[in-house]
Amino acid sequence: MRCKKAKVLISPYIDGELSEGERESFESHMKDCGNCRAEFEETRNVHNLFTGAERFGANYGFTTRVLANLETKTRRKELLVPLFTRFVGVVAVLMIIGIGIVSGRFIGRSFSFQKPGNIATFFPLDTFNATPPDSVGGVYLAMTEAGNEK
Amino acid sequence: MLNANKADDLSLVNRLKKGDASAFEEILLKHEDRIYNVCRYMLGNEDDADDAAQDTFIKAYRNLSDFRPDSSLYTWLYRIAVNTCLDYKKRPFFAAIFKATREDDEVVRELPSNEPSPERLYESKQTGHALRAGLKQLSEKFRAILILKEIEELSYEEIADVLDISIGTVKSRISRARKELKQQMKKIMEQK
Repeated sequence: MRCKKAKVLISPYIDGELSEGERESFESHMKDCGNCRAEFEETRNVHNLFTGAERFGANYGFTTRVLANLETKTRRKELLVPLFTRFVGVVAVLMIIGIGIVSGRFIGRSFSFQKPGNIATFFPLDTFNATPPDSVGGVYLAMTEAGNEK
Repeated sequence: MLNANKADDLSLVNRLKKGDASAFEEILLKHEDRIYNVCRYMLGNEDDADDAAQDTFIKAYRNLSDFRPDSSLYTWLYRIAVNTCLDYKKRPFFAAIFKATREDDEVVRELPSNEPSPERLYESKQTGHALRAGLKQLSEKFRAILILKEIEELSYEEIADVLDISIGTVKSRISRARKELKQQMKKIMEQK
């Protein structure tokens, strides 16, 4: 076995992941090669650091909390769809109001092109008939005209 | 040891799929410690680990249909846990500040001897702190693979399943992760 191959097998050897044949070849190489043996020892020291490393257990009441949160979070997820629908509704209403405001301003601006002094020319009083013939005022006037008093 | 429970796990999953809610409680009780332990080492503090472990089980419950019967329940849970922890690391800055409390509280090695001398206890504590600090310096993928191998003692095949990588990648990544950890710990010990 060459050093390059042996170095690749250091971790699998430590972890017990080599086949019988690979393990024998590896051990044989380690006996003969000081460099590879030094690297093997260093890697094994790192592995040994974890020996006896503390294992943490879940805190008291973990299962109860998960079951409670599962219910809450599932309910919250179910609420998300109506919330989204509500959100879309609110956005639609706001958009309609916005369009109304913008178009209102646009119409207002088109009228504001007319100067105040020219309003009389824009809406001449001659065209305005306060008592059209068919209206009550028009009939009254017709009745009160000379000759129709009776 | 873990494979012996595969049939039991599968039966629990089948019960849960049929609507037996008590099966989920049994799954929780059976796997909560190992999932919490992984989260604790991945995230380094108790509160985040508790939240991440809870999220792991809630995600598992909701995505039960994704579980493949040919896979092991615990490797599937480990996978969700590792991904959840990676997501926690990517949390927005302010969320991380508000959630993180006691950073890296006591991940200390226990001594093999029952009556350690004060020198050995001190030495062990120093090594434990260096190990904790060294792990923290590693990239997420190196940290995850070392935790699964060294703390959870999974086989290469199981790690490949959890991390969704090939066994060849597991071999090379573990080797590189150990080298990296050795260098990080050397730096840390030199600074002291």
